[in-house]
Amino acid sequence: MINKKILIRTVSSALLLTAASTAQSANWLMLQGTEKDGASERARVWGFVQAQYQYDNSDPGPKGYNPPKLIGPNLDDQSQFNVNRARIGIRGTGFPLDPNVNYFILAELGNNGITSGSDGKHLTDASVTLNHIPGARVRMGLFKYPGAEEGLQAIHVFDYINFTTVTNQLLLERFPASTCDGATPLVPCTQTTDGNNGATYAPDADMNQFSRSVGAFRDVGIQVFDTFKAGTWENSYAVMIGNGNGLNYGDNDENKDVYLYLSTENVFGGKGGRREGLKMFAWHQDGKRTKADDRTKTQDRTRSGLGLKYLKRPFRASAEYMQGEGMIFMGQHRPKHMWNDGEASGYYAEAGYYIPGSKWEIDLRYDSYTRDENFRFPTPPPASSAPGDESTFDTTTIGAQYHFNKKTRMNVEYAMRDFKSDTKAIDNNLKGVKDRFAIQVTHIF
Amino acid sequence: MRNILVTMCLLLTTLAAQPSYAAESDKPFADERIVLQISDADPSKQTLVLNVASNLVKHYGQDKVDVEIVAFGPGLRLMFKENVNSGRISGLTDSGVKFSACENTIAKMTKLLGEKPELNSNATPVSAGVVRIIDLQNQGFKLIKP
Repeated sequence: MINKKILIRTVSSALLLTAASTAQSANWLMLQGTEKDGASERARVWGFVQAQYQYDNSDPGPKGYNPPKLIGPNLDDQSQFNVNRARIGIRGTGFPLDPNVNYFILAELGNNGITSGSDGKHLTDASVTLNHIPGARVRMGLFKYPGAEEGLQAIHVFDYINFTTVTNQLLLERFPASTCDGATPLVPCTQTTDGNNGATYAPDADMNQFSRSVGAFRDVGIQVFDTFKAGTWENSYAVMIGNGNGLNYGDNDENKDVYLYLSTENVFGGKGGRREGLKMFAWHQDGKRTKADDRTKTQDRTRSGLGLKYLKRPFRASAEYMQGEGMIFMGQHRPKHMWNDGEASGYYAEAGYYIPGSKWEIDLRYDSYTRDENFRFPTPPPASSAPGDESTFDTTTIGAQYHFNKKTRMNVEYAMRDFKSDTKAIDNNLKGVKDRFAIQVTHIF
Repeated sequence: MRNILVTMCLLLTTLAAQPSYAAESDKPFADERIVLQISDADPSKQTLVLNVASNLVKHYGQDKVDVEIVAFGPGLRLMFKENVNSGRISGLTDSGVKFSACENTIAKMTKLLGEKPELNSNATPVSAGVVRIIDLQNQGFKLIKP
């Protein structure tokens, strides 16, 4: 487990050792958090569309299909065309003469975990950044918290279509429905009937019992961040405090999440989202959650990770290890089981090769995620889980990208999945999980 | 003797009446003299005007081209001290490119901002950007507005 105190001391040392001059760098904190000094527009409209097709080749389990075998977010079918993301935003410096204040607004209109619980549209970012204090830019509002690379980076330049399992299960937070007021005894507004692990017989049942948007790696809060240049090295830090309530406005309890982030990058050259360099990063997230149907109960939720990313054409490689404790996601069909003090960890390693003289690149990724199955639930663990029981999710993804132009590309990927569990009931549901094919076109404007 | 003195006086007067071309320019052997105007709000024009200046110096050589960038109106943002292009401006200054900032625009921006904007130390204030361009054209500079 990454020690929070060590991380804080490391951040402080980095601030003292590196040059005081700030640099407009091309890392995600700066690309998303602020505008170029003196060279930003009053209002730049931008956005992107991702249209995709996915096919899942899994077999039904003893009781039918369950989420790993169905295409999200609707979980209705094993093959689906979808407008996965359609985002439009506006950013800039509202008063161009003052480069110290900029804003960022982005809305989602596509069909995914963000919008499936919110009438097909949701604001994903709305923030203001104040750049008045050298070395300490301040960003306030709704925006991406500083953390794991898959979450922090801009999704429209992500080299794959689907997240790794470790990111999807450990980091992409789901929020159970709130308590229905006035009911006695208190019950969730959405009735859950997942005592049998939630499997149903037909692939057309909607098992997404989370009625609110996924966290989308975002929070509402305040962040202090900046980047410092020392020769070819760029050192960045970010400290954020947020509601810990994802995309939902307001806080549902008195607890706040704390996010810490540190990165150092040897910049080889280039600019923007595909700048070349070797970056190493570490992050930590600490918060508490309040139980949806019993607001007297709280549960610690911590996540940590460290990783590196290398990009110098024609080669790219990245890897990241993450771990977490508390509120471990147990699947769309088991929303009640999210209330736990379990542990989980995982990692991914991936590489890409840009074929010289062509518009193609090929990608290969391996990710592995392990979560404990025998831990404290509100009631004793299911009898089917024994101490030491784990579920593992291993995936090898082969992919390719074709770049029509700088703003338009096509991704194709084939994921070979090996999911299993020591707990028999869970393993029965994971049996039959097979490969998944996906193709996606992304256009940025 | 008197004739020589009168002739010398006439010569000196004639020379003084010529535009002070060689006296203004510190590149007396330049083959080309270019004034680049930036007055747009569009930030991409900042990159463009610096690219043009850089390309001119590369093509002709530092001593064979005299380049001056004059900024006024919204284009004056290029000359702000914290502008993201300040590193390039320093580099171009070392290559002999000059940067002029319109004082009329500075005054207007001071009024809007409530304080005087801090300029890049490589920028020289001129009373009026447009007038500076006209003066340079009268000295033989060619105007280019990327």
